[in-house]
Formats: sequence, structure tokens, C-alpha cells
Amino acid sequence: MNDLQKFRRRLLLIVCAIILIENLLLITAWWLSGSHSKSVELLIGGVGVGALLVSLLTAVLVSRLATKPLQTIWQAILHISPNEHGIPAPQVDALRLGRELVTSLLGQIYQLNEVTAQTAASTEEERKNISHNFIAQSLPLPLFILDAAENIKFANQAAANYIGIKAADLINKNIYMVLDMSFPSENTFDSWLKTAKIAKATTMNTWERVRLNVRDQHPELLFDLAAYYNRGNPDQIETMLLLFDHTKMYSQDDQAISFVALSVHELRTPLTLLRGYIEVFEDELSDKVDPEIKDFMDKMSAQAEQLMAYVNNILNVARIDNDQLELRLQEASWPQVLKSIVEALGLQAKVRGKTLHCKIDSNLPAVGIDRLSISEVVNNLVDNAIKYSGTSTVINIEAHLTQDGLVETTVQDSGLGISTSIMPNLFTKFYRDHRNRAQVGGNGLGLYLSKAIVTAHGGNLWVRSKEGVGSTFGFTLIPYDQLTQQAKQEGSQDLVRGAHGWIKNHSLYRR
Amino acid sequence: MERTAGLKTTRSIEDRHGTVEKPMEETQATPSTPISILCIEDEQFIGELYSRALTKAGYEVTVIGDGVKALEAAQTNRYDIILLDLMIPNLTGIEILRTLRDPARVPPIHAKIIITTNLEQRQEVRTDIEKQADGYLVKAEMTPRELVTFLQSIPQA
Repeated sequence: MNDLQKFRRRLLLIVCAIILIENLLLITAWWLSGSHSKSVELLIGGVGVGALLVSLLTAVLVSRLATKPLQTIWQAILHISPNEHGIPAPQVDALRLGRELVTSLLGQIYQLNEVTAQTAASTEEERKNISHNFIAQSLPLPLFILDAAENIKFANQAAANYIGIKAADLINKNIYMVLDMSFPSENTFDSWLKTAKIAKATTMNTWERVRLNVRDQHPELLFDLAAYYNRGNPDQIETMLLLFDHTKMYSQDDQAISFVALSVHELRTPLTLLRGYIEVFEDELSDKVDPEIKDFMDKMSAQAEQLMAYVNNILNVARIDNDQLELRLQEASWPQVLKSIVEALGLQAKVRGKTLHCKIDSNLPAVGIDRLSISEVVNNLVDNAIKYSGTSTVINIEAHLTQDGLVETTVQDSGLGISTSIMPNLFTKFYRDHRNRAQVGGNGLGLYLSKAIVTAHGGNLWVRSKEGVGSTFGFTLIPYDQLTQQAKQEGSQDLVRGAHGWIKNHSLYRR
Repeated sequence: MERTAGLKTTRSIEDRHGTVEKPMEETQATPSTPISILCIEDEQFIGELYSRALTKAGYEVTVIGDGVKALEAAQTNRYDIILLDLMIPNLTGIEILRTLRDPARVPPIHAKIIITTNLEQRQEVRTDIEKQADGYLVKAEMTPRELVTFLQSIPQA
């Protein structure tokens, strides 16, 4: 206020001084007007004009002086205004009048500006935090944020709801303690994160069909996972996990399997009994009944075997379709295995009036096979040959070494052959081609399954056929030595394969 | 039917355990101490068939079709072999297996536990069961005689 009074006083002083001078001039003029001489009149006129000029000058000067401080303050305000750019800071030194007042006012203005800026900045950050928090919290997907030690720094409400643990209880817990996840392949979250931490500044990845193992919780949770990694993030958001729940969808797939599994169970029980009773009859009656009855018993037995094989086919097709077929390849002598499989099929052939001729080369290396699965392949091929061999009675089964060093097995009949029109669809599932009656006959599940099993073994299943001449089905197997080398190259320790490629034993549905 | 006897069981054992079966010399029960088997099986006819074949082979067989009673029997009496079905009333086979194979159990159960089931499991569940049991057989894939052959092939403790 002092400055303001000083400013007012000075302004008053200047104005008073100017008015005084002006009035003095007027008084002088008035005094001089008493004498009426020509020169005096001129003088009075001059003084009048002078007074006029002085008052004009006064007006200009006062307006200048009085508005200069206002202008300086105005400039200062513009200078700090966020909407104006390029306005220089005001120069207080140039002020003649009211310098103190303006300096103090400018001080106040700049101080105020700083305070406002600070407040603005903090609310901005707060607002950002609030809005981030809001997004994260209201995100309808489970979100976990981890620090460098893989401890949870943040988990949103959806995450807490999803795994059934309070959000507050999740903080600072290790992610692996909270989320016990199983992945359908060896590409797991932890292996990805490990690699990311070594080699990547920032990276992301997604996984499908991840299973969350929650103790005593049914049904289990199945989801897709997306993860983001950012090394040394200043906000400690090093790793982010986002879960997309697909429990319903994926468990429907599983239920499809469960349905098959349940049906298979229901089929197997009477089958077990049938085979059991047939065996009892064979044991107790074989030598007591006449040949015709014995023949019927053989046929019954063969049919039971076939039914069992078909049940296994259904089951395996369901497994393949759901990526659940797992083969364990083991070293085996192929002549020995093939011979025993063919022997087991002897009865089936016999009751149909066919003979199986088996010719196996002796120079075959050991092969890597999943015995149960590969016998299903031979089973299906021989079964087809029996069905489609027409009037011919001999089915030739041969095994030899190919030029590429693979073990090739062929099943050849001299029967009906396969029409070229259905050849391209021979290895597809029957229901896809159910309109083609020629296809439905029996080549449906069996060949589709056999192809998948042989492929999973690393081999190839092929067919050569001519209508009216007969068909030859053949498949190759890889020697065991070659398989182990291949496995080594692919970094897999165990010779375990899924229907669609290598998988490591322990990583498949790790529990 | 002779043809399948060796094959099917060999297949089962080999494939499920990753070990090549080396059929032992007949470890048939001697008349003085018959090998005792508890057959936990709720399907009456299967129980009958197994009981018949095993008794003929010289084993002493008890068939129980109820989970709770079977577990009680397994814990009270001493059996050499337990054939365990997985789907049985009152207690599941897995629960029985878990109880009998509980490492904290005193004294431990000496019986060999062989799973005999027609149930199809997801691979990981099956692997889990196989780890705890001494054998895993699918009933439909073997005849009673093949079961006998298999039991004769496993070494007795």
C-alpha cells in the first residue's frame, strides 16, 4: 500500500506542478492585459497559446506516466499467460513512476503464477493417477502388474474376483504363488519372461488355452494370456499380465472329450464282459463243441476285438481333434512288434476267409514308436484290406528299408481298389464327406487317425490304388537313432510327441 | 486267443510305464501262502470274471464294490495286490489311491496297487495316477487271462 500511496503522491505532485505552471501563465496573461498596447496583446496571445501547449503536454505526459505501470503489469500477465507466446518479461528499470509499486506487484504476480503452476501440475498428475487407476480398476479383464522381482505391484478388481483373493492380499505376493498356470506347450510364461529379462528391453507375447490350477476349485479356469515386458520401467511396471477368460468356451471343448470319454467308458464295460465271457467259453467249451460252433465263437471273438479297436479309434480321434493325443516314442524292434500285431489280427482275417502274409526284411534298424498307437495304425490298414479285398484272399504285409533309410511297412490287397474321385478325401474324417457313400464304408475314422498317428511319429502315410486291381497302403517310420538326434536338435529331452508336433513330456499340462 | 495273451498286456505295461516288460518266471502262489488280492470293483459281473480267473490261477481273491468298505479292508487286512477301479460308489478310486499311498501313512501299505479301469482320463490326470500306482490297465483291453499273465509278470515284494 505504501508504494501505491507514494505513486499517487508523485502523480499528484506532477499534476499539481503542471496545473500551477499553467495557472501562473494565465495569471501573467491576465495581469498583462491591463495595458493596451499592440505588443502586449501579442504577448498575451503568445502566453495563451503557450498555456494551451502546456496543458496538451501535461495531458500526454500524465497519461504516459500513469499508464506505464499498468502496461508493465499487463505485459507481465501476458508473459506468464499459457495462452500467449513470445511476450518478453517487462523491464521495471525503465519505469520513472511507480517503480516500487510495479516491482512489488510483479513479484506478487510471479509468485502467484508459480503457486498456480505447482497446483496445476500436481492436480494433473493426480488426475492422471486417478484416471489410470480408474481404467485399471474398471477394466473388466484381470490385470496384474509385476515389479522386477516378479512380485505383484498392482492387481485390479477383476483379477481379485477372478482368482478369488482380495486385491489387497495380492500386493507384494510372488506371481507364481498366486497364479499356478499350466500351458499347452513348453512355451510357458515363465520361460518367456526369463528370456525377455535376458535379451529384451521390451517385448510382449500371448498364449492360448492356459489353465489356472486353483486348488479345490471346480470347474477350473481356462484363459488366454497376454503379457508385456518393459525392462527397468520407472513406474515399476516391468511386467503386465492380462487374462482373457475362456473357461466356458474351452471347457466346452473339454466336455466334448468328456462326452466321448463317457461314451467310451459305457461301451467298454460291456466289451470287457463280452471278451471275458468269450474267453471263458473258449477255455471251457472249445474242445467240446462242433467246428461250426467253434467258428461262430471265433467270429464273435473277432467282432469283439474289432469293436474294441473301433472304440479306441473314436477316443483317439477325439484326442487328436483336441490336441490331447500324446505319444511316447520308445525304441523297439519293428520285426518283433509288427509280427505280434499281425498275429493278433490273424483271427479277424481268418473269420473273413483271408490270410495275412507277412514278409519282414531282417536288416531293419530299431524304430522309435508308441506301440499302442502304431498297432492301431496297422490294425486299421489291415482291417481296411480285409474289408475291401473283395474275392481275393491274401493280404500282404511287408516291411523293408527305404533308400532314405526309413522303415517302410506296406499293406497290400488285390481287391476293389479306390476310385480316384475319393482319393483326395481319403484321409479326412468321414463325417466331412458323409454324402459320399463310397467313403463311409469304413475308411472314415481309421485312415484319418492312422495318418495323424504316423505323422506324429515323424513318418508318412501313403496310398497307391487302382480300381479293380487293389490298394497298397504304406507308412514310414524313423529309425530310433535318427529320432533321438532330431530330438536333441530340437532341444527336446524326451521322445514325446503330440499329434501336431514335438512336445516335452513334463510341460504338457504341467500340474 | 493264445495269440493276444502276451501282446495286449505287454502293450499296456510298456506304453503306460515306459518300461519294457521282462516277463518274470512264474511267481505263482505256492499252496502254503497264496498271494492275496483285493479286487475293488463295483461292476458285479466283471468282479465275478476276475475272481474266477484269478482264483483258478491260485490267488486268494476278495471282491469289494464299495469305496468306503474297500478302503477299510485295504487298511485293515494285508493284501499283496490291490486291483483298483477308479469309478466306484462312495469313494473314488483316486481318493483310495491317495489315502493308501499317503507318504505320512504309518505303517505304509505294502500291496502293489494296480489300477483297472475303463475310464478315459486326460493325459495329465492319468500320468498323475500312474506315478502313484504300480500299474495301469484298461479293462476292455485285456481279458481276465491277460490280467493273470500281467499279475504274474510283476515282481512280488
